[in-house]
Amino acid sequence: MDFLPIFLDVTSYILVLVLVALGLMIVFGMMGVINMAHGELFMIGAYVMLASQSLGLPFIAGLLLAPLIVGLLGLLIETLLIRHIYLRPLDTILATWGLSIALKQIIVLTFGPESHSVAAPIDGAFTLGSVSYPLYRLLLMAMSILLIAGTFWLFLKTSFGLMARAVIARPTTAAALGIDTRRMYRLSFVIGTALAGLAGALVAPIISVDPQMGLGYLVPGFLSILVGGAGPLAGVLVGGAVVGGTSNLLTVWISPVAAMITVYILAILVIRLKPEGLMGGRRAK
Amino acid sequence: MLEIEKISSGYGGALVLRDLSCQIPAGEVSALMGRNGMGKTTLLKTIMGLIRARRGTINFNGQPIRDQQTHLIARAGLGYVPQGREIFEGFTVEENLRLSLLRHGSADSPQALRQIFNWFPILEERREQRAGTFSGGQQQILAIARALIAKPKLLLLDEPTEGIQPSIVHDIGLQLARIARETGLAILIVEQNVDMIRTLADRVLFMENGVIADSCDIDTLRRDDSLINRYLSV
Repeated sequence: MDFLPIFLDVTSYILVLVLVALGLMIVFGMMGVINMAHGELFMIGAYVMLASQSLGLPFIAGLLLAPLIVGLLGLLIETLLIRHIYLRPLDTILATWGLSIALKQIIVLTFGPESHSVAAPIDGAFTLGSVSYPLYRLLLMAMSILLIAGTFWLFLKTSFGLMARAVIARPTTAAALGIDTRRMYRLSFVIGTALAGLAGALVAPIISVDPQMGLGYLVPGFLSILVGGAGPLAGVLVGGAVVGGTSNLLTVWISPVAAMITVYILAILVIRLKPEGLMGGRRAK
Repeated sequence: MLEIEKISSGYGGALVLRDLSCQIPAGEVSALMGRNGMGKTTLLKTIMGLIRARRGTINFNGQPIRDQQTHLIARAGLGYVPQGREIFEGFTVEENLRLSLLRHGSADSPQALRQIFNWFPILEERREQRAGTFSGGQQQILAIARALIAKPKLLLLDEPTEGIQPSIVHDIGLQLARIARETGLAILIVEQNVDMIRTLADRVLFMENGVIADSCDIDTLRRDDSLINRYLSV
């Protein structure tokens, strides 16, 4: 067994997982909203890519349209649904779960229940000695790293990020300093959903695009946040690496079932021993 | 400057403020005194819109602010230093200060920072330090500076001396009195510390059971302790 392709597979899976989990965590850390429809927003991103390809548009158009359309959808969801129930965790779980079912059905009605495939924009493979690896997967990894770095930069280095972190840590104090907390909630929700849409479009060429694909990323995404801790953004990196790495490696070495069992046991152990997650709690003041 | 007419406010079913009326004039330091649980903090939070008044009107410079959102009340020129300081521990001193300026745009921020560092040199020495590593007194100075940097017209201070060593309390009092004198800033300060009040205030309001029960100017208070005994002793 060659080590390099496995390493690259695991790394690209972890990076996509981190992208999905980052969007989830922005929304959760900021608004206390556990968005069960996040997986479906990821799925819709992939379907936007599919639709844009079937219209004959270039790959890059799909990459731009997916975050745009999913972000607009996020804006709609925030306005019609989330803003009425945010900071009420149980209600948001139920409401967004219902939303996820509705979104899935809309996709089934529009595109059918069967799975589709999306063509990668580049076909070639990268060859190094006896090992050859699809170029698109390398591109996917590079894009993911850029997006993750961009999100970190936005939240840790910019004025927007300073305001966002202030609202996360002390919402009422932030408001008393003149920060429009509602606007920050809305912007963060849209950024989180647009990120999910973009992740879906990026990953579409390497997986099968079907209405159920969201769940396969939502659950490990949540586990990553639980394991890594929802406080500092870096928690997602650690959580994504632990959850994604374990499940992927064990899938290759033993079986997918053994991998899932191990990941859940691992998650339970971490939550039991370090309830705040490996990197600390959500209240990062 | 701030006119409060017959407001009622409280938490859940319980009313804390009952038809409270008072006026906070421009350019003066008003102190609000009273025993615990009389509604002093509730009054400040109601002014800031953090608790919604059920009835009554609150006007700031002639504009009604009772039903405004908190960030708009702040932008109208009200600064608020909450009880317990509530600085952002994970941010540096400069980030804490910069946060208050973001709503203005960054054009005048170097000047505003310089003014603050001029008033509170310790913040300049430690501008890169994380605020969470500060002592209680330093955190309080930062919380006051964070409110002042946005150039409010009226500053609301909720028990700024709570849990702070006496020497720093005295310094904060002197500095605030100087700033109020130099800039014409009006202050409404909730305080139990009589020395602080004597250093800083022009006028004292006494609060009891959710209303302003009495008031006097600071000279009266200096001559005669009877009001303090009546409204503060347990």
